Amino acid sequence: MIPVPTDPPPHDVTSDAPRDLAVHTRGLSKHYRHPWTLRVTTGLADLDLDIRRGEVFGYLGPNGAGKTTTIKLLLGLLRPSGGAGWLFGEPIGTEASRRRVGFLPEQPYFYDSLTGPEYLEYAGRLSGLDGREARKRAAHWLGRVGLGARRRLPLRKYSKGMLQRVGLAASLIHDPELLILDEPMSGLDPFGRRDVRELILEQKQRGVTVMLSSHILPDVEMLCDRVGVVLGGTLRRTATVNELVASQQQRVEVRCVGAPLVTIPARWHGTIDRFELPEGTTFVLSDENDVNDVLAWLIGAGATLRAVTPQRASLEDFFLSVAESQGVDGRDRRSA
Amino acid sequence: MNAVLIARNTFREAARDRLLIAALGAGAALLSATQMLAPLALGEGLRLTVDLGLSGITFIGLALVLLVGTSMVGKEIDKRTIYNLLSRPVSRRSYLVGKWAGLAAALWIVALAMGAALVLLLLTRGQAGHIPSVIQAVYLAGLELSVVTAVAVLFSAVSTPALSALYTIGLFLVGQWSYDLREFAARFPSGIRTMCEMLAALAPNLPVFNIRTLAADGTVAPALHLVIATVYAAAYCAGALALATAALETRDFK
Repeated sequence: MIPVPTDPPPHDVTSDAPRDLAVHTRGLSKHYRHPWTLRVTTGLADLDLDIRRGEVFGYLGPNGAGKTTTIKLLLGLLRPSGGAGWLFGEPIGTEASRRRVGFLPEQPYFYDSLTGPEYLEYAGRLSGLDGREARKRAAHWLGRVGLGARRRLPLRKYSKGMLQRVGLAASLIHDPELLILDEPMSGLDPFGRRDVRELILEQKQRGVTVMLSSHILPDVEMLCDRVGVVLGGTLRRTATVNELVASQQQRVEVRCVGAPLVTIPARWHGTIDRFELPEGTTFVLSDENDVNDVLAWLIGAGATLRAVTPQRASLEDFFLSVAESQGVDGRDRRSA
Repeated sequence: MNAVLIARNTFREAARDRLLIAALGAGAALLSATQMLAPLALGEGLRLTVDLGLSGITFIGLALVLLVGTSMVGKEIDKRTIYNLLSRPVSRRSYLVGKWAGLAAALWIVALAMGAALVLLLLTRGQAGHIPSVIQAVYLAGLELSVVTAVAVLFSAVSTPALSALYTIGLFLVGQWSYDLREFAARFPSGIRTMCEMLAALAPNLPVFNIRTLAADGTVAPALHLVIATVYAAAYCAGALALATAALETRDFK
């Protein structure tokens, strides 16, 4: 059984937390004990994570992997069971650590009776802006997220996508230095997703650090400098997107005609996939080192080559291979 | 400062809620009813009007506390609106104090509006002599509602909305009869007696805020009583909110 401290140890605030890092955690853990069965489950185990200032960091994982738990620990919404963390050198859980942070929760909810400008002004003032500045910025950000024409509409009449936009505006209204976005693309249509991508890139250009939790991998691949993959409550790997993709074995696609009757030799079973299409036959080689031998075999068998195309491995390929290698099936642990 | 912002927003939400309008409507209906019943009161019409009018402030206020106050924190956790506040540089203490102050302010508005209507009624009936005692009673009813709101916020921070409403109404009843509970305790063996005495000591001493009988007679309470009641209410609210903060500090928002 995993030991669960009844009273979490205080963070070691005296240690020298690097201030050049936006996020710094050491051994950060969260365990939950069921009140009746006393069974302990791990939400997050021994997280050592560094996010440098100014980078866009993608935090990847399937539902229930520990992404939201990490974010809530960083923001003080959950108390750690062990370890410690700092935001810009300030211990997590303190007001000072949240002063320079903007946060967009997954599926944000707001006060129904407020209008967009009222909510944004409220959010701005709670983050330290004075009344006049908060009103000015509320008008600016409401327009910036495309809701300037809905100034008088109460939030209870907003669609899911509109609420997501208001949430994004609220997370940005006080010009945070660290933006933590939990599944920011969920609930958005393609236009909304494009707008959010543009906003994130705009913040990156301003030097804002972005921590982006998502399982929509193409968005992450497009936006992030580095990614971390969390599975089963454990951070499995952290690297740049290019490093991760380059570490994957490259596949090669060979298209040809006149090969419907050839049989793949036994030595390539499991490494070559074959697809019969109306315009010809496509072979996908999972190991690029086999390409010369396969081409020689196809030409020898009378096939006519049409194209040989290297396939760049995607982040999704990497993600799935990490999950498979760790024996994690990616199913939502919360529903288990 | 953050507590003031949260209080303002809580008040704004309550003011836009139909419940507040309904409470004011119920108050107006109650005062109208006293005017219809007054001729049947065998010369005690004025006493009936003042007594029912002042009781209405407490009970309509209590209904608002039960409907709004007891689910105040739980609803924010369920709807996850609390994430938007506590992920900012806002302490949990400021959050709770703000929520309490906002709802208490809304209840003061209800008490003052109903009190003003009662004073207007007394003026139209040529009973201006009762007005000072009615104003005192309205002030104490406002204090009483502030104390009950603090109790509701405390339970709301540690329990579900349904249980919190149950605990609040329980403590309200114990508080109303705290003197009787102490007398009752004296008849029991020491174990039960100690428990009853502890319960009476922990519950708010609500009879301190009840001068309705005096007001119905037009008797003005001594100023010292108002001072003691004010200090007691402030101390009780501070204690309840400190306990609520301690409970909320340990709470995880999953």
